[in-house]
Amino acid sequence: MAKWGMVIDLDKCTGCQACTTACAMENNRLPGENWQDVLFYTEGTYPSAQLKWFPRPCFHCEDPSCVHVCPTKATYKDPNGGFVLIDWNKCIGCKYCMIACPYGVRFYTDEKPVVGGPTGGPGPDIREVFPGDGKRSWNPPWRAPDARDDWVHGVGIQPKGVVSKCTFCYHKVSKAPPGTPDLDEDDPALKEYVPACVRTCPPKARYFGDLDNPESRVSKLIADKRGVRLKDETGNKPQVYYLSGGAGPAVPSTRETVKKT
Amino acid sequence: MTTMTKSPVGLANTVLVASLAGLVIGLAIVLINLGAQGHAAFNTTSLGLMWGLPIVTYDYFVVTSTGLTLIACLSLTFGVRDFDPVARRCLWLALATLLGGVVSLMLELGHPLRSLYAIPLNLQTDSPLFWKMLFMTAYGVLLLVALARGGSRPGWGLAIALFAAALGVALLAGSVFGMMAMRPMRYGGEVPLAFLAEGLTGGLAFAVLGTYLAYGGQASMPEGVKRLMTGALPKVFALMIAITAAMVASRTVTGLWSNLDGLQVWEKIVASPLYHLHLWAGLVLPLVLMLLPSQRTDGTLQVTAALLVAVALFIGRYEFVIGGQLVPLFKGSWAPAFIDYAPSFTEWMLALTSLSLAALLYTAGDKILDLGALPQGED
Ligand code: SF4
Ligand code: SF4
Repeated sequence: MAKWGMVIDLDKCTGCQACTTACAMENNRLPGENWQDVLFYTEGTYPSAQLKWFPRPCFHCEDPSCVHVCPTKATYKDPNGGFVLIDWNKCIGCKYCMIACPYGVRFYTDEKPVVGGPTGGPGPDIREVFPGDGKRSWNPPWRAPDARDDWVHGVGIQPKGVVSKCTFCYHKVSKAPPGTPDLDEDDPALKEYVPACVRTCPPKARYFGDLDNPESRVSKLIADKRGVRLKDETGNKPQVYYLSGGAGPAVPSTRETVKKT
Repeated sequence: MTTMTKSPVGLANTVLVASLAGLVIGLAIVLINLGAQGHAAFNTTSLGLMWGLPIVTYDYFVVTSTGLTLIACLSLTFGVRDFDPVARRCLWLALATLLGGVVSLMLELGHPLRSLYAIPLNLQTDSPLFWKMLFMTAYGVLLLVALARGGSRPGWGLAIALFAAALGVALLAGSVFGMMAMRPMRYGGEVPLAFLAEGLTGGLAFAVLGTYLAYGGQASMPEGVKRLMTGALPKVFALMIAITAAMVASRTVTGLWSNLDGLQVWEKIVASPLYHLHLWAGLVLPLVLMLLPSQRTDGTLQVTAALLVAVALFIGRYEFVIGGQLVPLFKGSWAPAFIDYAPSFTEWMLALTSLSLAALLYTAGDKILDLGALPQGED
């Protein structure tokens, strides 16, 4: 079975956030509930300050702490493909997985809106505009077909009281022909199986394939261009690798030590 | 100084009425707000702070409950006869505080009812939370069994099991945090031990408060209770306060000294007046009061020290649970500096609900049951 993984070339990433938008559209996310985010930050101080950015999905870690801590096995590692998924039928909303994930990629959406509403700035709380129907926590008219809802794998709009996160577009990737080394959006036969963020990335900074297959493009890129993983010291071993050749952005390693005043 | 002489019945009735009012008002506000807004009624967010005041309250009461049981176990499990007169009272107080804590957790969870079967049925033995729930269930049942035996001393097996369960819950409550390598402020093998020490210290504080609430003052205490309150108990209390204060000091110094990414939160914590209230007024002052031989037997000072310690431990739990999340997991525009958090009104009302439930159960139990009964039978 494949062990799906992603390579993100930071030298190619322009920070355009098309991935974020594509993910939100594909998976019907709430405003601000960015399963796939691009984090912007500055390093250094004036006049040598630099604006940097860092694209960040869920890393579908090899040894995920979120899976170890979940008391109900709602968060689990799918042996068929290595996805880390959430079974919304089992999640009790304890948020321990959110505490344990070193990357801050998980969301509990029954809280004050991140965007809109009384605390999230201008615009309404979109959940009030399209209220849930008892099954979904909110119910936009443009949502994906009901048939694609798959609570066991955390696909669709979540019910109330559970945690959600990036699924590596499980609903697409899991249907790829067995033995496929790379899911390349340029291959017409495969493009429907490519995760939305990968397929959309305008500068083609993202690659998706089987990390266990030595012939896959992702395996070769990681080997040839020295792919690195974020916060590898936590032992989670992400299945998302970054290439940072040195020209521009780099994988953030340490937090700023100068306190903001 | 004189010992307290206030009428126990009057004081207990006041607490009973106040806690009933607190429970009704607190619970009503929480339920209405949760019903209307869902968990948006809490000031927790996915972009920063996921565990807020309800988890602080929950852990505070559960850990205190284990401390109370361990005090009862001095008598019931280890046969330290000095503690016989408060054993049953501590067990009942342990049950009251346990339920006070559990109510806060249940109203914090996204799916409280599902947790009752999803945790035992899925057997995720990797998760500290799974073991904590397992031990808490066993602990609750054992408490009930021990209390159901009335005045008679539990058998050896039950006494050992109760001790093991209380110890397990305290250590596991610490492990839930201490095992999180990605949250350096909370990480480490000493964290479960700190929870255990704080549980015992809090248990002693609650035992003092519960005892004075029951008898009013030393003048109306039976001989055995009076002997304990002027003998071993304040000394053990002083020792446990000293250990707790030392643990707080050692964690603070390590936190301030170390440049490990994530420990910079200690600078923020120490800069807050709450921290100093916690350490100096809540631990050092009661320690001094309980260390001075001429003072530690005084009822008023004992109650003062117990109240200060009880509040200090709550602040300490708050600093630990919240502080561990104040440093963003890694830098990004969404969390550029320390994360801001202040409990919402609903969260405070949930804390009031927990406190009121524990107080109500205790005072009602003290009226109905003979909590002062000495355990009968052999060890
Ligand atoms: S990135 Fe976080 S949520 Fe995703 S698998 Fe790793 S630990 Fe789990
Ligand atoms: S919130 Fe849900 S998925 Fe996360 S640890 Fe709790 S039960 Fe598991």
